[in-house]
Amino acid sequence: MAVSENKLSDAVPAEQVTCFESGNEMAATAAAQINYHMMGYFPITPSTEVAQYLDQMKARGQHDIQLVAADGEHGSAGICYGAAMAGARVINATSSQGFLYMLEQLPTQSGTRFPMVLNLVTRAVSGPLDIRGDHSDLYYGLNTGWVILTASTPQAVYDMNIMALRIAEHSEVRLPVIVAYDGFFTSHQKRKVKYFKDNAIVQQFVGPNPNHAYANVSDPSRPVTIGAHMGGDDLLNNHYQLSEALEKAGEVYSEVAREYALLSGREYKVLDLYRMEDAEYALFLLNSAGETAKDTVDALRAKGIKAGLIRPNIIRPFPAEELRTALKNVKALLVGERADSYGAQGGNLTHEIRSALQIDPDNKTIILSRIFGLGGKDFYADDAAAFFQLAIDAAEQGSAEKPFDYYGYYPGEEKDALAPVIEPMHGNAYKTGLIQVTQNEETGLLKVKLPPLRQLTVKPHRLAPGHGACPGCGALSALELFFKGIEGDMVVLFQTGCAYVVTASYPYSSHKQTFVHNLFQNGAATLAGMVDAFYELKRRGEIQVSDDVTFVMVSGDGGMDIGMGATVGAALRNHKMIILEYDNEGYMNTGSQLSYSTPMGHMTSTSGVGTTQKGKKGHHKDTAQILAACNIPYVFTGVESNPQDLLQKAAKAQWYANNVGTAYGKILCACPLNWKTPDDQGNELVKAAVDSCFFPLYEIEQGITRITYNPEEKGKRIPAVDWLKRMGKTKHLVKDTELLQDFENEIERRWNRLKLRHENALL
Amino acid sequence: MSTLTKKNALGFFEIRLESIGGLGANLAGKMLAETGALELGFNAANFSSYGSEKKGSPVKTFVRFCDPEIEIRDHSPIEEPHLIAVFHEALYKIVNVASGLQPDGVVLVNTTRDFDDVRSSLKIESGTIALIDAMGIAVEERTKINTAMLGAMFRICDFLDPEAMRTVIRRTFEKKYPQLVEPNLRTFDRGYNEVEFKTYEVPEGSQIKPFKRVQSLLGYKTQLPGGVIAAQGNSILKDLGGSRAGLLPEFHAEKCINCAACDNVCPDYCFVWESAEDKRGRLQQVLRGIDYQYCKGCLKCVEACPSDALTSLREEPGYAELNRVTQVFC
Repeated sequence: MAVSENKLSDAVPAEQVTCFESGNEMAATAAAQINYHMMGYFPITPSTEVAQYLDQMKARGQHDIQLVAADGEHGSAGICYGAAMAGARVINATSSQGFLYMLEQLPTQSGTRFPMVLNLVTRAVSGPLDIRGDHSDLYYGLNTGWVILTASTPQAVYDMNIMALRIAEHSEVRLPVIVAYDGFFTSHQKRKVKYFKDNAIVQQFVGPNPNHAYANVSDPSRPVTIGAHMGGDDLLNNHYQLSEALEKAGEVYSEVAREYALLSGREYKVLDLYRMEDAEYALFLLNSAGETAKDTVDALRAKGIKAGLIRPNIIRPFPAEELRTALKNVKALLVGERADSYGAQGGNLTHEIRSALQIDPDNKTIILSRIFGLGGKDFYADDAAAFFQLAIDAAEQGSAEKPFDYYGYYPGEEKDALAPVIEPMHGNAYKTGLIQVTQNEETGLLKVKLPPLRQLTVKPHRLAPGHGACPGCGALSALELFFKGIEGDMVVLFQTGCAYVVTASYPYSSHKQTFVHNLFQNGAATLAGMVDAFYELKRRGEIQVSDDVTFVMVSGDGGMDIGMGATVGAALRNHKMIILEYDNEGYMNTGSQLSYSTPMGHMTSTSGVGTTQKGKKGHHKDTAQILAACNIPYVFTGVESNPQDLLQKAAKAQWYANNVGTAYGKILCACPLNWKTPDDQGNELVKAAVDSCFFPLYEIEQGITRITYNPEEKGKRIPAVDWLKRMGKTKHLVKDTELLQDFENEIERRWNRLKLRHENALL
Repeated sequence: MSTLTKKNALGFFEIRLESIGGLGANLAGKMLAETGALELGFNAANFSSYGSEKKGSPVKTFVRFCDPEIEIRDHSPIEEPHLIAVFHEALYKIVNVASGLQPDGVVLVNTTRDFDDVRSSLKIESGTIALIDAMGIAVEERTKINTAMLGAMFRICDFLDPEAMRTVIRRTFEKKYPQLVEPNLRTFDRGYNEVEFKTYEVPEGSQIKPFKRVQSLLGYKTQLPGGVIAAQGNSILKDLGGSRAGLLPEFHAEKCINCAACDNVCPDYCFVWESAEDKRGRLQQVLRGIDYQYCKGCLKCVEACPSDALTSLREEPGYAELNRVTQVFC
């Protein structure tokens, strides 16, 4: 039942409002209007804003979606899957590594047939890490059994988010749906966008929640088993069902798109065919690049060249039939792809187009494949012109000289190759002999003798200046101060986070000794493998190095949420290394989202303050006590405002890491940008956090707790409000006596318990 | 309905804002574009250069305006703008801020310097230079420089109605911060009224100095496989002076007690020490000064200093270069 052009223009769309917003804002707007039940999310650039906008809207009472901050994307996918099995309507957003981290959950959800909508804000997959947009994450989604829509503009992001739920919940589909749009190009560019004035219009379009009519866990009168394991006979049949449903989703897409066009006045055909009616040379491009290239098509048409462009709105199911029709008379097609299928002589979509055409015996289209625009490398109109020229040349020659290639690569010049700028320092260069650690023969506990701190300035810095941290960054000062307490060589691994991003931005490194990055959740495991391999290589005599090389894993910005599993694993195995957490009380690297270490009531970009909520719910994570429960030899807390205390702990941590096993330390660090304070206040702020007993300084050495600085005994104790009133993120808390009391009570409870432990070696 | 006075081949009037993170250029670009799009009937696009840049790092914000019937399909950064607004003057040392300016384009600079001085440091051959002391206005009105810059930009974009911007300013502040409405309106108006212009004639037959896309330093033949860097510590080659937003620490050696409190809190490792004999002939570490090449002006050291040996100073051009104590990395 095709809707004719006339009918579409005759239809009176529902009333709409024009705004000036980005793709992420529009995904959030659609979700709020639909009023999903649940979102289980985890921050990752560039999709995080979706949760942020939803949090802001929620603080203003604009929707009721339960926003659950997960412990990682794997957890977020679990939350979403669980909610879907409960029959709830579920939304999520992620990107890149986040998508890959949840990947194992995605076929589980499609194979058990629970619909939801996932916004995939496309971004390059690591490694090396790159936060900007390409389609390498999206391509991992092609085999998951999810429907995939591709939204090329902020307007399409809004529209497709509404269409997606209808498709997902359709009785003949019942599959989860991905809405994929380009990171930054679409997620962050603001354009004029129309949205429905009345949420009821959106809710009528998606209809009432149909999930209660299908198997779910929320009806005890109809108990079900979900997820029984199968053998091949059954699994093949299950997957046949899934395959049929996914094919059906293509038809359903067209129906829903037509219906939506009547409501909105905007139609998203399976293929956006731009000037393809008589085109001889064509480009196939996904999403934003497909929009950019339209200007080039116009320019070529003005010169009399029959150029055209194909940009799909849906790639799962793959629109093979529509492509065969569109390409019937095209002499040469260039498929530009923002992700490679390494070794396959073309990205995934090149091969899908080739196999679509292979069925048509009359088709003569020459196909070229080019990998371009990786990692957010910009795509300009002149790049599109170069693509067309390649297609034209191939058509004239009757074949493609180079069917597959990368586009935009550059050899570089020998003169620019990186040359060492400083003589590498190691071993004795970092041994001052000024720090002495001795073990008490009786108690087995360590004693550290430190020189006056000015004398330690003789030791070269471990980190080099010139890094890109914000002015006044508390993490970079505290890390270097801690490193001052370590003698001899170090190998450091930073998990993803601010300290990594600002000290290792290719082609620059601010690390003087060996530095490694690994992803956000896996640093402790990676360093565990590294340190054990080091000792094994040493044992076999393959390397001749001293015994006191210290391995340090550095994490922050919420890394002790997503990385907790790997950290506990490493601690339980007791590898000879230091795990160091710079705790800045949030995911500061991705724009200040709440982490579990964010204290109660503190404002972040996902724990907003408004009429319906007052900052973060629940109290801060006590990571030091979790690690203490792993019974590792040494656990400590520290701050830069007590430098002698921190350096003594660094020296002890090194001794334990070199001689016994895992040492863990948590350093509270100010983040002026996101704590909303002046740049010069960081040192004073962590001092106030300590003096208020919010962040007590203590150590747990061989199971024995000792408070190393007691503000009460020194007459320095201050009420928490004297810390809180100095930060923009807690201004509201100061005025809220009930919330403040709750916060003070929790500080007191933890502090009193700590004092008992300090007094009793058995606790 | 307003009409654009200048357009490029695609029908766009294009604006590029050059700033460092934290000065509000992103917000200014958004407010400028939103006012044109929602209040004045243009079609518009607005975005910023995104990376892992933090506060204090260079950032570009882009605004495109066109007639409402034109669809904006281009996603690429603006290379040959009609207007460039430089929020942070010191940027010219690390970024070619005026790159690609149209021959009859305008460069707006937040500065207290004079036209010829700015022209020579920004290497502008022709076009109009517009100067505004946005920092001075913001300090006097206790507002942010971005509102003063917006005022000046509205004066330059004569197709934009300043009254529409005033409406947006009222709407932005009146609910949550009503006390900020009047100072911001004053700041906007002062930016609008106080901006000064000087046009340098376009030489006969002059063309746009084509924008040069930045080529990566390394290529596939010169990158080590796997992205490994074997030049440890090479970030010392960078100059971070451009990250300072106007203040820096001044060192008074005579008051220094060499306690290292500054060194312990400095996130940028700027303090330079030397071994020297004290009065009793013992070898001691002595603070020699500050390596301003890396100082971002956070002033944590001033807060930490117990002896007034470090004080806050409003940075004058040339001070940092003159008083820098160079670190020796060995």
